[in-house]
Amino acid sequence: MNIISVGVNHKTAPIEIRERIALSEVQNKEFITDLISSGLAHEAMVLSTCNRTELYVVPAISEVTGEYLKEYLISFKDARKDVRPEHFFNRFYCGTARHLFEVSSAIDSLILGEGQILGQVKEAYRIAAEVQAAGILITRLCHTAFSVAKKVKTKTKIMEGAVSVSYAAVELAQKIFSNLSMKKILLIGAGETGELAAKHMCQKNARNIVITNRTLSKAETLAEELGTGKVLPFEGYKEHLHEFDIIITAVSTKEYVLNEMEMHHSMQKRRLKPVIILDLGLPRNVDPDIAKLQNMFLKDIDALKHIIDKNLERRRSELPKVHAIIEEELISFGQWINTLKVRPTIVDLQSKFIEIKEKELERYRYKVSEEELRRMEHLTDRILKKILHHPIKMLKAPIDTSDTIPSRVNLVRNIFDLEEPNQ
Amino acid sequence: MDNFVLDNIALFILIQLVSLLYIVTTFLYGAHFFRESKLAQQYKQPALALTVLAHVVYLGLLTSLEGYKLSYSTFNLMSMVALTLAITYIFIEFTTKSDKTGFFVLSFSAGAQIISSIFTAQSSGAGPAFSGLGIGVHLIAAIFGFSAIAIAGLYSFLYLLLFRQIQKNRFELLFQRLPNLEVLERLTMHAVAFGFIFLSLTLFAGIIEQKASSEEINLLEPRLISLIFIWIIYGASIFIRPITGWDLKHMAYLFIALFVFITALILLMTLFSPSFHGLAILNDPLYFDNRSI
Repeated sequence: MNIISVGVNHKTAPIEIRERIALSEVQNKEFITDLISSGLAHEAMVLSTCNRTELYVVPAISEVTGEYLKEYLISFKDARKDVRPEHFFNRFYCGTARHLFEVSSAIDSLILGEGQILGQVKEAYRIAAEVQAAGILITRLCHTAFSVAKKVKTKTKIMEGAVSVSYAAVELAQKIFSNLSMKKILLIGAGETGELAAKHMCQKNARNIVITNRTLSKAETLAEELGTGKVLPFEGYKEHLHEFDIIITAVSTKEYVLNEMEMHHSMQKRRLKPVIILDLGLPRNVDPDIAKLQNMFLKDIDALKHIIDKNLERRRSELPKVHAIIEEELISFGQWINTLKVRPTIVDLQSKFIEIKEKELERYRYKVSEEELRRMEHLTDRILKKILHHPIKMLKAPIDTSDTIPSRVNLVRNIFDLEEPNQ
Repeated sequence: MDNFVLDNIALFILIQLVSLLYIVTTFLYGAHFFRESKLAQQYKQPALALTVLAHVVYLGLLTSLEGYKLSYSTFNLMSMVALTLAITYIFIEFTTKSDKTGFFVLSFSAGAQIISSIFTAQSSGAGPAFSGLGIGVHLIAAIFGFSAIAIAGLYSFLYLLLFRQIQKNRFELLFQRLPNLEVLERLTMHAVAFGFIFLSLTLFAGIIEQKASSEEINLLEPRLISLIFIWIIYGASIFIRPITGWDLKHMAYLFIALFVFITALILLMTLFSPSFHGLAILNDPLYFDNRSI
């Protein structure tokens, strides 16, 4: 029983190709149902996110290869003009398992250690299970992948540290102030960047967030969404600068929204208590000379990228630990796969002995009482169990290579004179 | 043998063991801070507890030679400082739940204890032992006061280090591992507050004791002048800072300077003027029993 994975991802294809081949949930269900119902696959699962569309298939016939599946997906999406087989990766058997483990533990992601991918793999499995396309192999593969991801998350630091500008801003603020819930925060600009930063601040218990924006209604909407309900008119926020410990600016403007003189007065008013200004605007929103003021921490996007780079560096240093966890789980998974190959022989062996037992007991059915027959049956069951214990244990024992399996199976089949299994 | 440590095998073993334990504990805290060693993380707190326990036993044995009275030898006092620093650090770790500054505090503790061990092993006696409540309070408060000065200096140093790292966009090891600036500021100011209380107690007990005795102390003795100077600065830091809004960045330089100055002064005075505030106490039975072992 083989398991094949093919797909496009951020490593193999540009975004326009990934967009072209991506499957919605409805398409996903339709695609895997087609594969199963047409008798091409025993099991199938599709993982489709913004960075990857990957198929995990247990083929039902030998004609279903990686190349076949690539063409099948391209045809399904009617993307022959744009997408070529060279845009795909192709893996088999343990390679497939390794790939899914790497994907689930977020080391194959565009941003190393990002936290969303595990949820997306779980969603892909849920869809496959829903259309009954997830059999024993894909179920085991996915559950092992979830377990690998959990181990990676708890035993390594691959997911630690901010890797987005807005998160880095929060991380920096927490390195200056111990309790964000006690700090007053001013958000200048209620656009997407500002909103994201404010939401991250809220996640870290910041409660006192005041929003100002040129369009007041937009500020009010965001304030309501964050649950703070505090807004300042854009024309008047500068009079209140001294009240804020953290100022986040994220507006589109060519002129500085804060200059040195204003901040100098503000610092005097607040008796030089430290202030952090996070300038998330591009072009910059804040006069860089403000950084020269005493107890002033002014950080723009470039500075925050330093934090991201350092965090990514730390995450990369955790890769050997992640690979070790994956390797360990891969061995267990490989051994479990091997037990699937010996399962028919075990079933045949048990059936043969049960058949012998039943034939022999049948001869005594009318010669002994019912109670005696029940005792004899119980006795023979115990004897059979003991006789079969060792051969079954030997068949299931871990092996280094799959080459050993046929020799073991043949040995048992010859000794016990079992018929050749049907493929 | 005329060396009191070498004559007492238990004391000799303990003095080596305590120093060794300080080194091991500091190493474990360092390994956790710099290398994030899991093993170090697991064993550093038990090692610290064991170190403090061994140190208490060592000091108990050392003072037992003088009928459990405190002895005035700077090297013994350094050992006491090492112990009080370690105990204070345990308190800080327990209350702030932050174990990231242990390496820096315990390094100083270990240094003080090692120097103390070396010089104690070379000295001929445990030093003059004090009797009397007033002088005991004076001495113990001075030890705790110095420990507070040391901790204020060390945390001020860490505060400035992190402040500079953030300003210069160096988001490296210290940025990632040290507690945030506000916590470091709070720890520094707590140390200053404790320092002020203990120095006040030192001065108060000293004045009471001096009045009770017939001896005149030298008011121009550098340690005494320094003590009053630090006491005034610490008091100003606590009471005037909230009014004037002095920022910790500049005060931190002052706390570091005071710590370096008082440490150097005590060491120099010990080497070149080993008397107790200029008193002729070596012959005064009121203060101590000058029994050589």
